[in-house]
Amino acid sequence: MELSKSTIKGWQIIEVTGQVDSKTIGDLRDYLDENIKGDLPVALELSEVPFMSSAGLRTILILFRKTQDMNVKLCLVGLNEEIAETMKVTGFYQYFTNYSNIAEIPEENK
Amino acid sequence: MKTVERIDQRSTEIINGYKVRPGKPLPFGASLIQNGINFSIYSSAGTSCTLVLFEKSQDLPLVEIPIPENYKIGDVYSLIVFDINSEEIEYGYRIDGPNNPTAGHRFNKAEILMDPYARLISGRDEWGKKPNWERPYPYRAGVPFDDFDWQEDRPLEIDPADLIIYELHVRGFTKSESSGVTHPGTYAGLVEKIPYLKQLGVNAVELMPIFEFDEFENSRIHPNTNEQLYNYWGYSTLGFFAPKAAFASTGKFGMQVDEFKQLVKSLHAAGIEVILDVVFNHTAEGNENGPTLSFKGLDNKTYYMLTPEGYYFNFSGTGNTLNCNNPVVRSLVLDCLRYWAAEYHIDGFRFDLASILGRDPWGAPLSNPPLLETLAFDPILSSCKLIAEAWDAGGLYQVGTFPAFGRWGEWNGKYRDCARKFLKGDQGQTGEMAQRVQGSPDLYKQSGRSPATSVNFITCHDGFTLSDLVSFNEKHNEANGEGNNDGNNDNLSWNCGAEGWSDNPNILKLRQKQMMNAMALLLTSRGIPMIVMGDEVGRSQHGNNNAYCLDSSISWLDWRLFDSNQILHDFTKALIHFRLKHPALRVNSFENKHTYSIDLPGCSFHGTNPWNPNWDENSKQLAWMMTSEPETINKEADVVYVAANMAHYASWYELPEAPKSYQWMLNFNTGDSNCQHLIYGCKLEQKGLLVGERSITIITASKINL
Repeated sequence: MELSKSTIKGWQIIEVTGQVDSKTIGDLRDYLDENIKGDLPVALELSEVPFMSSAGLRTILILFRKTQDMNVKLCLVGLNEEIAETMKVTGFYQYFTNYSNIAEIPEENK
Repeated sequence: MKTVERIDQRSTEIINGYKVRPGKPLPFGASLIQNGINFSIYSSAGTSCTLVLFEKSQDLPLVEIPIPENYKIGDVYSLIVFDINSEEIEYGYRIDGPNNPTAGHRFNKAEILMDPYARLISGRDEWGKKPNWERPYPYRAGVPFDDFDWQEDRPLEIDPADLIIYELHVRGFTKSESSGVTHPGTYAGLVEKIPYLKQLGVNAVELMPIFEFDEFENSRIHPNTNEQLYNYWGYSTLGFFAPKAAFASTGKFGMQVDEFKQLVKSLHAAGIEVILDVVFNHTAEGNENGPTLSFKGLDNKTYYMLTPEGYYFNFSGTGNTLNCNNPVVRSLVLDCLRYWAAEYHIDGFRFDLASILGRDPWGAPLSNPPLLETLAFDPILSSCKLIAEAWDAGGLYQVGTFPAFGRWGEWNGKYRDCARKFLKGDQGQTGEMAQRVQGSPDLYKQSGRSPATSVNFITCHDGFTLSDLVSFNEKHNEANGEGNNDGNNDNLSWNCGAEGWSDNPNILKLRQKQMMNAMALLLTSRGIPMIVMGDEVGRSQHGNNNAYCLDSSISWLDWRLFDSNQILHDFTKALIHFRLKHPALRVNSFENKHTYSIDLPGCSFHGTNPWNPNWDENSKQLAWMMTSEPETINKEADVVYVAANMAHYASWYELPEAPKSYQWMLNFNTGDSNCQHLIYGCKLEQKGLLVGERSITIITASKINL
């Protein structure tokens, strides 16, 4: 799994590349804990994620709860269709605002 | 805040390269804990136990960990294995012990056994995908997450008297291409059809078995048609704690637990309860010739009813009988139901062949079966509906006498039989029909039970569909490949003049009317009505009354019927909503309280003359009037009068006098083929009305607007 961060349109963009499953969620969780700041909304860029396991879905739901506690917005960007469908039928999808790509994210003015 | 580290988060020794320590015997099964998994398994007669771990999808074990003798407390082996990835692990056990079938023991260390408490089972992840028959340990236990986010959801606790149950097969409901759903034949597909169920007005679904089963059990090719026949219905449980993976669109990813929970949550959000059809009477291991999958190799003598020679009693008709009144098995059943109620928010259970649950370990019926009592008084199950199929294949028939402990309801087979006979105009039915429409007080009043004890039905998954009930005199089960020898021969059906398909308009018209009559009877009876999937649109199985093995268009709901049989659908829907609007039909007491505000009894019977029912052998005319007091001060008293004429000629029914300042309104008339449902009601100016041949009318009393 590769992880990187940037700031675009006032959002902290966390870009994830690779499968999100029980083998990789530890790295993802640590990276998110270290890098997410409480002052900007968070966009998780997932267009290079081919699969998310049950543990992977839980990790992003936990991220949702954490950002909720921090009073910070969270969105998902570029979910592939199969993951989006899996999230819908297992109940995870409803928690997130979704955008197809970074260009779609609205400008965030703090 | 820093959390305190627990001592038991650290291993005490290493076995075969894995860090372990003695586990906790409770809860049974495999439980996720910090840094590891706690495994716990019971075997009273086993002499040693080995935990076998597999990497997901691998044929050969990753490691085998013999559980040290000092890890055993009582008859329970438990250990914690650290640093293993629950999502990537599957597990089983080897148990050593005597192999002496005559003494009831069938231990075989060569077999890898599934945990009876497995909460996730893989091996049949996609429906109908050919399995590798050579694979050792074909059905594998896994460890699911149990942290679903239910938000504000909880079981709905709808008053039983207000329930209207819709029985359905998860796969059959949406598998047909005509369903138009994104995920046909799955839990997710059913979610997509919730708006349909909601508009129909039902407030509970009863799901045919969703505990993991193997659709390939006893599968075969039909000798004449070459069609693949399956264990389609699934009345043969592999694991009591695991939802069927192949009913989940995400089963191939092992996410069936979440998908099923999301289904329950979505149904609840629509005001619809979930009742599971559960099969505790037998397992998928068959008799002495069947496979050893779990119970047989873990503690055969505990889990099964055995003859003195060590053979399997067969009260279920399927090879073995689970020993439900053994205290260990009793605990398993209780743990299972508690788990589904607490972890899945299930609202109720319907117990297949429930009379078996009241037999002692030697098969004799118990007067006070401890299992049934335990379930009735359990604190977690206290608001769950418990519904018995109050008979078994060993000849025990307990409709009306099932040990209820004030809690158990029953599938009322006597309602079904009487309603069928009454509908086809058999002689001598009016007396019994009067009992059935008021909730069967003849069966339930004396023992202090109420009308909602009785789940009233005319059809269910087992037997003719409603359309076939009015189209066939005989069963036609050739598609099952058993020479039409399977299924019930005594269907109490009438084909209305031609066997099966017909283009005779008179026959078709009569069939439609008879279906409407059945719905009218069912939905104006006190008790809990149950409709089987598709009866509201005249679904046919072409005369097959036992489609247990047919995963095909015969069993699936064809959603195009909603266009071709729209009149029947609209009629049924209107009746369901009518029932929900009329509390008089849902009174849950046999006291027959007088409705003083309108000076009428709570329930009364009539014939063609008011207050004068004709109980003669040849009488086919019966009317009933049900009343209840206004629900709030400004509302009207509720009065519903139903006139049923099952004779082949029309009859004039003189109406009872309407209550003071009320007038009679006609709401339904199956005898009027142009208008069976009068949406706004039609004021009846005369003192009676002509009820057509084989017709039912439903009339209400409305307050006159002065």
